[in-house]
Amino acid sequence: MSAVSDAEAARRGKSGLFSLAKTAPWFIAAVLLICLPLVFNSGAGFTVMNQMAITIIFALAYNMLLGQGGMLSFGHAVYMGLGGFFCVHLMNMVEYDGLMLPLPLLPLFGGLFGLLFAFIIGSFSTRRAGTVFAMISLGVGELIASLSIIVVAFFGGEEGVSGDRTMGPEVAGFDFAQQSEVYYLTAAWLFISALAMFLYSRTPIGRISNAVRDNEERAEFLGYSQRYVRWISFCASGFFAGIAGGLFAINFEILTEENLNLATSGSILLITFLGGVGFFLGPVIGAIVFTLLQTVLSLYTEIWALYVGLLFVLTVMFFPSGLAGVIAIHVRPWQLGKIGLLAAPYLKMIVPAALFVFSCAAVLEILFHARHAALGEEEMWLYGLTINSQGVWPLTIAIAIAVVSLIILKRLAPSLKEAWDEANHQETGS
Amino acid sequence: MSAAAIELKDLNKSFGLARIIRGVDLSIGRGERHAIIGPNGAGKSTLFNLITGKYRPSSGSVHLAGTDISRLNPYQINRMGLSRSFQITNIFPKMTVFENIRCGLLYSMGYKYSFWHLVDRQPKLTERADEILEQINLTDRRHLIAGVLTYAEQRALEIGITIAGGADIVMLDEPTAGMSASETDYIVDLIRQVTEGKTLVIVEHDMGVVFNLADRISVLVYGEIIESDAPEKVRASEKVQEAYLGVAEEEAD
Ligand SMILES: Nc1ncnc2c1ncn2[C@@H]1O[C@H](COP(=O)(O)OP(=O)(O)O)[C@@H](O)[C@H]1O
Ligand SMILES: [Mg+2]
Repeated sequence: MSAVSDAEAARRGKSGLFSLAKTAPWFIAAVLLICLPLVFNSGAGFTVMNQMAITIIFALAYNMLLGQGGMLSFGHAVYMGLGGFFCVHLMNMVEYDGLMLPLPLLPLFGGLFGLLFAFIIGSFSTRRAGTVFAMISLGVGELIASLSIIVVAFFGGEEGVSGDRTMGPEVAGFDFAQQSEVYYLTAAWLFISALAMFLYSRTPIGRISNAVRDNEERAEFLGYSQRYVRWISFCASGFFAGIAGGLFAINFEILTEENLNLATSGSILLITFLGGVGFFLGPVIGAIVFTLLQTVLSLYTEIWALYVGLLFVLTVMFFPSGLAGVIAIHVRPWQLGKIGLLAAPYLKMIVPAALFVFSCAAVLEILFHARHAALGEEEMWLYGLTINSQGVWPLTIAIAIAVVSLIILKRLAPSLKEAWDEANHQETGS
Repeated sequence: MSAAAIELKDLNKSFGLARIIRGVDLSIGRGERHAIIGPNGAGKSTLFNLITGKYRPSSGSVHLAGTDISRLNPYQINRMGLSRSFQITNIFPKMTVFENIRCGLLYSMGYKYSFWHLVDRQPKLTERADEILEQINLTDRRHLIAGVLTYAEQRALEIGITIAGGADIVMLDEPTAGMSASETDYIVDLIRQVTEGKTLVIVEHDMGVVFNLADRISVLVYGEIIESDAPEKVRASEKVQEAYLGVAEEEAD
């Protein structure tokens, strides 16, 4: 459908550039970014939103490799981290050496630094795709992470490097001491970067990057060096990762080894996969969900990382195209005007599903508390109840609820499947 | 005097101890329609891979319009105006039919590695891709994912991708393999039409197709060219009868 209008637009030349269908989502995103602080105006709200924005940029950059280029990197935090370190140093030069660099431009330099390193490392890591590329990315990731502890002058050793973002020249009266100011700066960069990455995917190099992912041999016989295509994608990805690093430097005013180690590289892979590598919006969804889980869930439970891990494993197993894929499979019923058919089974399932999730979580929490609480501390808070984690009953009840809700879910499954088939079925002969 | 489109000089290729191509000398003139025939495993596809840069010769050389291309990569050779198809369908199965063709056009239309053009906003590019779709009769499949096309349609698409870049030497490796008689007729017409005025090198098993299309035929047996001549002469050649055509007819029975 949209492809038809693309072609129409192309025939008409530039007039299609401002077509409503294409600009509307960006317009809505911009309005949303501007208005979000009206709702979430607490300090914590800004922190979460800024973190989210940074993660979205990083995940989108990562997906330029994974989703669009088919390159699995285990060390992409390096480019965000190096961009970030460079930006903290620039911030310090602004503070101590009188460098006249307005803060809003700082992420650009983070990007350029990320680009530079991606250019150097990509020159050899992108020669081969597949496992070789993945292994080199892992090796380089480990190398830079260990260098960061050794080269103290640049990385600041264990405590990292910190700076102060407010020391630069004021821009239009803003000194960026307020969190809301930092938010708008971050949001603006998010908007620009996301738009740029989206447009990149529609350029010749973006399309050919897909082609090389799908069939590198065929692309070679059409005039494209698969190696250069991968290298260029890698540089572009490093650039946007570096921008995310610059924004991280501005937001947190400190960078440490943690910003470029393998754990961080692993999370971005997880985030991108969770959201769905096959969709432009996938990494965005992944970053939002992950940041919410990380920040909100961690307020309530110590074992939040376990839940994130479970979510990841379940997503990969049951929805390999990610959360965006789950949304995407509803597009057809929607277009057929049959999305309503799914409402009833979904509504019926939502209560047992929630019960199942919460009771499983209860089991995990009780077990965790029983093992790790201080000696003699048997009481724990769970869902507003005070229970005895050492007792038999709480655990038994939680398991019973889990089992019963699972049985109910199983019973309801056929009706969902039926509704699902019906909702995807197009009447023929109409 | 202009150099031959393709010239092979004492070309050899071994895989381990197996000598697959043994001292092939061959000159294919500009605008010639050259068929390479020979039994299965004779080394026809290997010869294609040597000419197009997929394999490096063990010894000997390949020349394209007088330039030695033996050490070049496929993409460099493609840019010099040589394009090929594959025996086993080789397309971009996850992309739409239209996008497949567009990928074949991008480099030759000067977009190269550009990140400052938007592909959907290039009227000439879209127009050219649509022309090719029209030529290969896949216009009504334009928006389909290439992987869901029928086998014959995929073969047509592969030819479309191959000729899209406007290469003046086109090499097709068994374009009609596995097709019904009517599909074969269709593809042969298509080949004739899209390679008009170009140098064509084609590997083909169907003798009807070969004698119908080719100006000249080379017979490859065990990595050696035992005959290279006009179709009637090749048909009459005893050597060929013995080594290949007889065998092929027996097999066909
Ligand atoms: N990459 C390779 N490695 C080893 N042997 C190969 C390779 N490619 C082709 N061969 C061998 O070369 C011989 C000729 O193969 P091929 O060129 O595909 O024959 P044809 O196309 O004439 O049927 C076969 O015996 C095949 O096994
Ligand atoms: Mg073959």
